[in-house]
Amino acid sequence: MPIIIISSDVRDIEEKIAKEVALMMDYQLLDRRVLPDIEMRHQIDPGKLSESMETTPSVFKKMTSRQWRYYLACIEANVFEALLKDKIVCWGLSAHLFTTNVSHAMKVRILSINNWNSGKNSEQKGGTSQGADKLIAEKVQQRKKWSMTAYNHDETDPSGYDLVINLDQIDPVEAVKTITNAVEYLKFQPMTYSIKCLSDLALAAKVNVRLLKHMVDIKVQARDGSVVVLTKASNRQKRKKIAAIKDLAGSIEGVRYVEVHVKKNILGETAGNSF
Amino acid sequence: MAVITISRGAFSLGKIVAEKVAERLHYDVISREILLDASTRFNVPEIKLEKAIHDAPGILERYRHSKQSYVAYIRSALVERIINDNVVYNGLAGHLLIKGLPHVLKVRITANIESRVAIEMERNQIPAQEARILIQEDDKQRLKWTHALYDHDPRDASLYDLCIFIDKLSVDNAVDFICRAAESEAFRATDKNKQKIKDLATACRVKATLVDEFPNIAVTCEYGNVLVYISKDQATGKLIKKLNTIRDNMNDIYHLETHTGVPVPTDAV
Repeated sequence: MPIIIISSDVRDIEEKIAKEVALMMDYQLLDRRVLPDIEMRHQIDPGKLSESMETTPSVFKKMTSRQWRYYLACIEANVFEALLKDKIVCWGLSAHLFTTNVSHAMKVRILSINNWNSGKNSEQKGGTSQGADKLIAEKVQQRKKWSMTAYNHDETDPSGYDLVINLDQIDPVEAVKTITNAVEYLKFQPMTYSIKCLSDLALAAKVNVRLLKHMVDIKVQARDGSVVVLTKASNRQKRKKIAAIKDLAGSIEGVRYVEVHVKKNILGETAGNSF
Repeated sequence: MAVITISRGAFSLGKIVAEKVAERLHYDVISREILLDASTRFNVPEIKLEKAIHDAPGILERYRHSKQSYVAYIRSALVERIINDNVVYNGLAGHLLIKGLPHVLKVRITANIESRVAIEMERNQIPAQEARILIQEDDKQRLKWTHALYDHDPRDASLYDLCIFIDKLSVDNAVDFICRAAESEAFRATDKNKQKIKDLATACRVKATLVDEFPNIAVTCEYGNVLVYISKDQATGKLIKKLNTIRDNMNDIYHLETHTGVPVPTDAV
């Protein structure tokens, strides 16, 4: 069965639509409630994963770039694992940004900023509509920056979705019906190729997590159990790093062959640092 | 019944989608006819109107305001056409020219650049590189045009009610989505909505009559009461005379007044 991924500019709406769709289709929900489990599994401090989904690393924040990448990789690996189970409605985990090539994952964006802004939000906060506009514009910019830094993909770009529905005029009930109807379309049905694509991505994500725990500058691709790792290292560390990657990645279930491509790290060469 | 505008980049299959939607809903499809209407009504060569709605204004045009005039004529012709509902407009800038009307379903069809290039290559029998350059140039012009005249980005999803990525879906799937949305309660032409469109048509007519000589005026209309927003230096005897003529000649105006030096409402044309 297809996977449905809901994204929105307003968290409340995202949750509401995802829940309605899951209820109507009798699908499982996959959302941020899985984060504590992932934190436990990877021995990460509570709340860190949630924080990594909202902020980008900077020198003034406590979360370093290395930690941030690792946290996102953990989320990604676990989301892929859950998506392999099928019949899933996923929201709040930015899955639309890392499942772009999975054709049976229907990616829907719900827009409702004007509705939400001009209605309850500005009144609830006792602020002016202009103030709320500014706040929301800042929030949108922040999400844009986050998605670009994390996945080099603009979350607000409509071409990243199969369907974008604006709730300013369209009723949420109608939007839910549109999504559930669209799921039936042939293009969103799992095919051998798209299932294989998802399992390859899941394997790559699993290897990525294992490697990022020990080193930086890692990119992983997987195909039929063969894993290609792209990394950077100085001439001195090259052999050591390749051996470590092969050792770490090779021990993961499903990995049959590991190939490592190393680019010269000029900074590492002069600094003489470790991985 | 609704009015549907379908916006798309060149070679994104938007035209086929528009035709199929119209066929299924028994609506009229309009596109270039608007330019012919405007050309006849305002006595402007069609080629100038086509350029005005397609190409971004050049430096001289920004000072001459000719583009504003032509766009006002096109807008007026378009609103007159959609006044009776049941219309699919797949020409340029529909979502901007008739914004503010609740029963207008604004749709954007997007497609991958590669598939657009493939369609253009096949249709015009040209090499891929040439097709790509032409499409990119067209997109650039659309972007500049929308920025210059409306300060928007045509790719901004919040301008539309539905954005459909046609590559993964088929034309028929897109038609399903659009028809379903068009038939929903939100896009029914209620009496209130019909009045709104009549008022918009009146405001557009007034604007089109004045825009050539007074390019920076703005017009609103509510239940036949027309407000013309002007700056202090525009409040001349010439304008007053022109407004008196408009008041005498347009039967659907109950009352017409000018507002000077006040902020222009966002829904003004």
